[in-house]
Amino acid sequence: MRRDHMKSILPRGPITLLGNLSETRYWVYLLLFPSLVLLLLVVAYPTLYGFVISVREMRLTRPGLNGWVGMKHYVAMMSDRVFWISLKNTAIWVTAAIAIEVTLGFVAAVALNRNLPGTKLFGVLILLPYFLPNVVAGHMWALLLDPRLGVINDLLVGIGILSTYKAWFADPATALAATILVEAWHGFPFFALLFLAGLKGIPEDLYKAAAVDGAGPVRQFRLITVPMLKTVIAAAVILRVISLVNSPDLLLVLTGGGPGNATQVLSLYAFQTAYREFNFGYAGALSVVMFILLMLFATIYIRLTRVTKE
Amino acid sequence: MLKTSRSRRLAGDILTYAVLTTLTTFCLGPILWMFLTSLKTEADIVTSHMQYIPRTVTFQNYVAIWTQSNFPVLIANSLVVTTITVVICVLTGTLAAYAFARLPFKGRDKIMLGYLLVRMFPAVMVIIPLYVMMRTVGLVDSRFGLALAYTSFLLPLFAWMLKGFFDAAPKELESAARIDGSTRLGAMVRIVLPLARNGLVASSVFIAIAAWNEFIFALMLTTGQGSRTWPVGLQLMVGEFQLPWGVLAAGGILSILPVVVLFAIVQRAMVQGLTAGAIKG
Repeated sequence: MRRDHMKSILPRGPITLLGNLSETRYWVYLLLFPSLVLLLLVVAYPTLYGFVISVREMRLTRPGLNGWVGMKHYVAMMSDRVFWISLKNTAIWVTAAIAIEVTLGFVAAVALNRNLPGTKLFGVLILLPYFLPNVVAGHMWALLLDPRLGVINDLLVGIGILSTYKAWFADPATALAATILVEAWHGFPFFALLFLAGLKGIPEDLYKAAAVDGAGPVRQFRLITVPMLKTVIAAAVILRVISLVNSPDLLLVLTGGGPGNATQVLSLYAFQTAYREFNFGYAGALSVVMFILLMLFATIYIRLTRVTKE
Repeated sequence: MLKTSRSRRLAGDILTYAVLTTLTTFCLGPILWMFLTSLKTEADIVTSHMQYIPRTVTFQNYVAIWTQSNFPVLIANSLVVTTITVVICVLTGTLAAYAFARLPFKGRDKIMLGYLLVRMFPAVMVIIPLYVMMRTVGLVDSRFGLALAYTSFLLPLFAWMLKGFFDAAPKELESAARIDGSTRLGAMVRIVLPLARNGLVASSVFIAIAAWNEFIFALMLTTGQGSRTWPVGLQLMVGEFQLPWGVLAAGGILSILPVVVLFAIVQRAMVQGLTAGAIKG
């Protein structure tokens, strides 16, 4: 009795109290409370608010214009030429980048998984681009591909592929392809990382058993490696699609959507509409459409990959 | 038979090294070129005939970016924003990760999935309302406001990554401590956190790098010197003063230096956490 009293007046009071609280069933909610509140505040509320903005007029440059406009922005989008170009470019950009990244990532992972001496170091070096900021990656590649000073132009002319230096980002015919190359450089290590982890998870015995049964490397690859990696591939692709569709950084740095609208994608278009024109209502509607398209894609994609697994 | 399988193996090894060397060149070549450019004089960069190796090595570009622009201020702002972001994520995310990993409760899977779904939201979709909200409460152009915005996508990532590390920490020691009369809080602080120390460091470094590199939120939410971070500042410098390539390259090298160093130090644990989080998710 007396001892309990002593305890509560010691400076450790609040900690003891928390310790006691940790034994109750409220503890778990207490642990979750801070992060949940924070996420509700900086994600959930803004998201809901974003839907509201998309059906309002909101231009910070003209405060007088403010009010409910219903589906006006969505209707306007249907006849907005840039929206359709952006949609098409987004599809091309994401599909091509992911196809290259998956291929390169797979090749890298298979090579790294052979565990030859030195592969650990190679693994670390190959991963580095993934951690570099888009701003630096963008300017670095702008320098490499520069029409006057670009070393890649010089190399290509040197080995006779090009006859003169080329302005990769200024030519509408090559601009999108050039940005895809940069994105592939930046993103393929992510796939290499995940595929390598997936490959390491495949039991060695499976290959031995297949070899005993007379299956060659190609059949082993087709019948063991690919099916065993299916979940990892599916997960990696969907994560990458989400981040590619959502992030305009690299294109903003490299081309700003130009020349013309040759490299304009939805995320960049929405960002510029908000950042340059302060037309928050229309930008909001664009991002809502992006979000819905992503959700649709994710749902269909997850269905499809589940179906093929069974 | 033995001979063919051995020569086949040798061919495979050679092919492996060829592939790895090519990929490493592809990955590091651009960075190396930027580094070389940062050491060149303007005369070696702007030439009619490509100068691969700098004729004279100069640190003039580094001096220029550091003394003739507001680069030090930008770096300081980035440091502050990154630190605040990491502190917020560690304080709140560790608790959540521990709850996810150790305490069974109703709706746990749903809440965890919710934390993951946050990544689906287009950044732009969150940025616009956040901008309006932050303007209302006076947090636009504030380093704290920007850090708060970063937690919107980094906190869930941190919680998921750390949960994986908590999962991997053995439960037995914790149970033993509890039997010895330690409270849940005591066991968490004295047993589980030290066990998952590496994971805590790796997850923190991962979000620190992400916050350090972030560009889009910073571009929208910072308007002046007071809070502008280096990616935004560097980008604006390029647009405003036609920054010479050498100076830009020096800025790039300086700003990725902390990333490369941190990555080199904790890459193993970070890779482990990243793959665990992504595959389980």
